[in-house]
Amino acid sequence: MELANTRYNNVLSQIKQEKTKRRRELLETLRKNKWALASLYIIIALCAMSLVSFIYTPYNPFQFNLAIARQPPSLSHPLGTDELGRDILSRIMYGGRYTLGISFISVTLGALIGVALGILAGYNGGKVDTVIMRIVDIMLAFPTILLAIALVAAVGQGVKSLILAISITTFPVYARLVRGTVLQIVNEDYITAAKLIGLSSYKIMVKHVLPNTMSVVIVQMSYYMGLSILLASALGFLGLGVPPPKPEWGTMIGGGRIYFFSAPHIVVIPGIFIFITSLAFNLLGDGLREALDPKLRGLLRRG
Amino acid sequence: MSIVLDVRNLKVYYELGNGVVKAVDNVSFQLYKGEVLGIAGESGSGKSTLGQAIAGLIRPPGRIVGGQILFKGKNLLELSESEWRKIRGKEISVIFQDPNSYLNPVYTVGFQVAEAVEAHNGGSPKHYIHKAIELLKMVRIADAPRRAVNYPFQLSGGMKQRVLTSIAIANKPELIIADEPTSALDVTVQAEVVELLLELKKELGSSMIFITHDLPLLLEIADRIMVMYAGKIVELGSSHHIRNNPLHPYTRGLLESVRYERKAKLKSIPGSIPSLISPPPGCRFAPRCPFAYEKCRKIEPPLKQVDGRLVACHLFNEGGNDG
Amino acid sequence: MSLGKFIAKRAFQAFVTLIGALLVVFLIMRILPGDPARLIAGPEASWEDIENIRKMLGLDKPLYIQFIEYVKCVFKGDFGKSIKYGTPVINEILARLPYTVLLAVAAEAIAVALALPLGVYSALKPNSTLSRFISAISLFGASLPIFWLALIFIYIFSAKLKWLPSFGAGSWKHLILPSFTLALLLMGNLTRITRSSVMEAASMNHVTTAVAKGLDNGKVLRRHVLRVSMIPIVTIMGLQIGSLLGGAVITETVFAWPGIGSLLIDSIFYRDYPLAQGIILFIVLAFVIVNLAVDFIYGLIDPRVRSRTWS
Repeated sequence: MELANTRYNNVLSQIKQEKTKRRRELLETLRKNKWALASLYIIIALCAMSLVSFIYTPYNPFQFNLAIARQPPSLSHPLGTDELGRDILSRIMYGGRYTLGISFISVTLGALIGVALGILAGYNGGKVDTVIMRIVDIMLAFPTILLAIALVAAVGQGVKSLILAISITTFPVYARLVRGTVLQIVNEDYITAAKLIGLSSYKIMVKHVLPNTMSVVIVQMSYYMGLSILLASALGFLGLGVPPPKPEWGTMIGGGRIYFFSAPHIVVIPGIFIFITSLAFNLLGDGLREALDPKLRGLLRRG
Repeated sequence: MSIVLDVRNLKVYYELGNGVVKAVDNVSFQLYKGEVLGIAGESGSGKSTLGQAIAGLIRPPGRIVGGQILFKGKNLLELSESEWRKIRGKEISVIFQDPNSYLNPVYTVGFQVAEAVEAHNGGSPKHYIHKAIELLKMVRIADAPRRAVNYPFQLSGGMKQRVLTSIAIANKPELIIADEPTSALDVTVQAEVVELLLELKKELGSSMIFITHDLPLLLEIADRIMVMYAGKIVELGSSHHIRNNPLHPYTRGLLESVRYERKAKLKSIPGSIPSLISPPPGCRFAPRCPFAYEKCRKIEPPLKQVDGRLVACHLFNEGGNDG
Repeated sequence: MSLGKFIAKRAFQAFVTLIGALLVVFLIMRILPGDPARLIAGPEASWEDIENIRKMLGLDKPLYIQFIEYVKCVFKGDFGKSIKYGTPVINEILARLPYTVLLAVAAEAIAVALALPLGVYSALKPNSTLSRFISAISLFGASLPIFWLALIFIYIFSAKLKWLPSFGAGSWKHLILPSFTLALLLMGNLTRITRSSVMEAASMNHVTTAVAKGLDNGKVLRRHVLRVSMIPIVTIMGLQIGSLLGGAVITETVFAWPGIGSLLIDSIFYRDYPLAQGIILFIVLAFVIVNLAVDFIYGLIDPRVRSRTWS
């Protein structure tokens, strides 16, 4: 017992040191990767833009004026006006809260469910593992967009159902990922030592297993932000996402679609924002992945 | 005796992000026809890199930066890729150390042996399946016709090593480089494989370079032995000389350590091979050498003729007997 | 493990997944807003009519009995009747299937034809300018909103250049835009997987053996690098075809391609729930079956898997 205790503490302090070192290395690698860094800045800028829209937009994003409909970009309307004469810049800013917000909330929610299930499955093994992974397999049997469409169709259109749909489609991958990571660490010395000194399973999971899965989860979340933005806007475009007149970016494209030939900027501009946002999250994910423990890299996949 | 291989001032460097690793640094030696030359050293001594360089298998980030490899009087380093291809596997072949990873998992072993024949005779591997079976018989694989259609994962480690051997001898090469051919095998199988290699060598009239960390094994099978440390030759002489009177402290260390443990973990010499990116000045072995003195840490010892062999150590004087 | 045993085991796993998927679809459809009986009866039906339809549909029975009935029907190939068309759902699906298969096969073929050479090239010459360009393209592919890309293509090739029709199906020209749009989307992943698995295979030790035999580069590449690297590539291709057979919902909708995907969206907008349910089920079925098929293809490539499968 005494021995286990000392050993446990020794290993703990060792791990702590290693972690600080790894964290420093991670920041260092990230700083050197100029694409990842640029992406981070772009993401921060986009978030700032969406937050600013709560107190200021150049025009009222919902105020339509058919007299100035479908105007190309100009000094008074830097990104032009849409099919109803609304200022596109204001709508993009306002719409950020939907496209980014929905993605962020659903990715976090999906990660929470997935991580919990993954740890339960990986740490307990046996029947718990089998049942959870079966559920995960079943969920993965649905193509992503299909499941989202089915859920939105079932629950009804709206922000909440969109969040529900995206988080339900994404959680299985986290579960699988985290389970894989847990299986890699569950036989490490310090887990055995923690068991020996009598820590409860719950404590071991929260204190030792969970922190070790965080790095892969964060990378996967970055990738899934990229995917969720595409998913949310695709549903918006199909008319199954955030309903108009709310200026979710995909919904904006869906609304402007019939005027595409005469006023392409109505469609092109929101698309560029979707593309850049998604690209930035994917690049950030790549950067984080590079900086990650090589052992864990193989578990990840983009989108 | 005629010289088959004459290596002169060979330098093989690995150009890595954080510096240049001098894996083989200014190495010169000769190999005589029909001889078995043993190369001994710990991992990281450059012995495997040397073998790969002679077989033309150095891949980036590795690069041969200087010297000559004269094979039957021809400098191999001046050959074009297509000229090299005619030599690889036909005149010089290699037996690799890990039979599990050096065979392709998705082809039958018969195909892989036949391929070695095909490479130098044209046609398709299918034409050489009988030849492949014959070769498998030569390496004493029982039931060769049946084994030929097996996949590597269906064979034991020793059997796979025999398959690799049959690939190496397929074209009756003049030079066989055996790179730790036994280190991945069970002790019982090791002896059989070594015996087989020596017999085949005799049968084909080839010369052999036998690379291993197992110096005592070399004392039994090699005509001459070359001990390498950190990319340099530290001692080169006949097995007789090295058995009876090893001079270099590293050679002695190798002999002592393996006496206790076959895995050559150099228990008797604490420490490990220095960073080859910035090796210590003077003798590279000095930091671990129990006999090192001032001069060893400052001046690199040249290879000199001492007591019938070459040795690179300040403890001995040229032509002298002892230190 | 014997062949029979292996097939039985994989098939059983697929069966369990399928039943699970059925349950998910069933439950999703049961939490739908609105009463299916009322929907089927129409707005002018009396309460009695609705009750009768409810009984007829078995909606008055407990949920688990409804589920068992449902599963039974599904295995008989009875996916229900479309509300909009009044025809069996399965007929509607089968009528649209050829279009979906055509688009899926064309898109996957284009993607493979482009992604394999690009992936192999960038694996063998990782530091060349072209390789950097290829990685950038594959990253873009993963970040582009496909519905937007489709609109841009329509704008360029139909509206401006007038080379190709913008929507519908009929001639081979109709196929070009949707299949290339989809292919671009698929290419990103495929190129990346090809690149990484070829790189991994090329660094394996048995490649050194092949070089040391004196084999020429072409044979080393074909036999010892590419063949070994095919396994993850085939997996991804299988997954892609599996999900494409379910209809590329977005692409089909934008290009008004009359496949299963656009039928699904239509059915949802018409609140034709039996049809939607049937389509979703069909898609999952296709996905599971294709995955099963991919498992067997492994055996053809990798004898280690085959031994577990066929010997």
